[in-house]
Amino acid sequence: MRVYEVFVKKDGRNEFRHVGALEAATDELALVLAREVYLRRAEGDRLWVVRRDHVVAAPGDFVDPNADKPHRHHDGAAVAARRMAARQSPS
Amino acid sequence: MSEPHGVREYLLAFADDEHLMGQQHTEWIGIAPFLEEDLAVSSIGQDELGHAALLYELVLDLEGVEATDPALDALAFGRPSDDYRCCHLVEYTTSDWAEALVRHWVYDTFEAMRWKLVAGSSLPKLASVARKALQEEAFHCRHADALLDKLLAAPEARKRILEALEVVGPLVTGLCEPVEGEAEAIRTGVAAGSTTDLLAPLQQAAEERFGAAPVNSLLDHGQNRRTTRSADFEPLLARMREVFDYDPEAIW
Repeated sequence: MRVYEVFVKKDGRNEFRHVGALEAATDELALVLAREVYLRRAEGDRLWVVRRDHVVAAPGDFVDPNADKPHRHHDGAAVAARRMAARQSPS
Repeated sequence: MSEPHGVREYLLAFADDEHLMGQQHTEWIGIAPFLEEDLAVSSIGQDELGHAALLYELVLDLEGVEATDPALDALAFGRPSDDYRCCHLVEYTTSDWAEALVRHWVYDTFEAMRWKLVAGSSLPKLASVARKALQEEAFHCRHADALLDKLLAAPEARKRILEALEVVGPLVTGLCEPVEGEAEAIRTGVAAGSTTDLLAPLQQAAEERFGAAPVNSLLDHGQNRRTTRSADFEPLLARMREVFDYDPEAIW
């Protein structure tokens, strides 16, 4: 049995969303089982199943350093203050 | 007034098969071999129950009775057992998953052919139910086929499936056996042909699927045009009525 990750696209939306996973013996079984397990109440109009071992996954600490970069978060306050100052200064 | 009676009996046979098959599938909830299959087979069972409900509505239409929930319940659960027209295949209590899977394949392969017989029915509602059902049947068959593709390739599983076919096979002729009223249904254009004619293509499909044709006894092997019930029927009906019987007047 292989593990498949299941993605569903809702009617009228563009993006597929991850809805869960399942175990199946073949790709075809993964599709028919996902249809009954995740879409039997019309939860979406498109289905992807992806073998978990085909997912290219980054190691856990791959993106960790990016969690501490406040300089990448700007709300525009500094720029606004400088523009305000420029407007008020006699030139 | 044999005409409406014949058509009524024809629709009842179809509805009763769907009802019992749906019940049998849903009884696997919680005990199928693995979780995903457990959900899938009971979901397929719910599709069959949905077909049964629509067919019972058509029966009530024919009787001029409004299809209220109590009227549908009375028809589905409350008839004396000799008024049922299901075949013995759907009454049969399977002893394991292999038998249930083989029956699932046989039943759904047959069912798709059966809906085609009424896809151009003179009853417009029946024709529209058939169009909807045929879309679903394609997926039911894919489900059974995908499992069998995998299992028949494994020697131990293959052995068990072929043993199950020995048990289920003799009930296949009964599945194709029509009721007395079918003649009226064909004459009035409700159905395009007899279910008897589906036996040969079904046997051929089984031969291609399993590499062995299901065992077949004589066409009449005790169902007597679907008017007799097998020993498994009463316990099955009792299970189906279990909750209903707590309070038959309850509004759900």
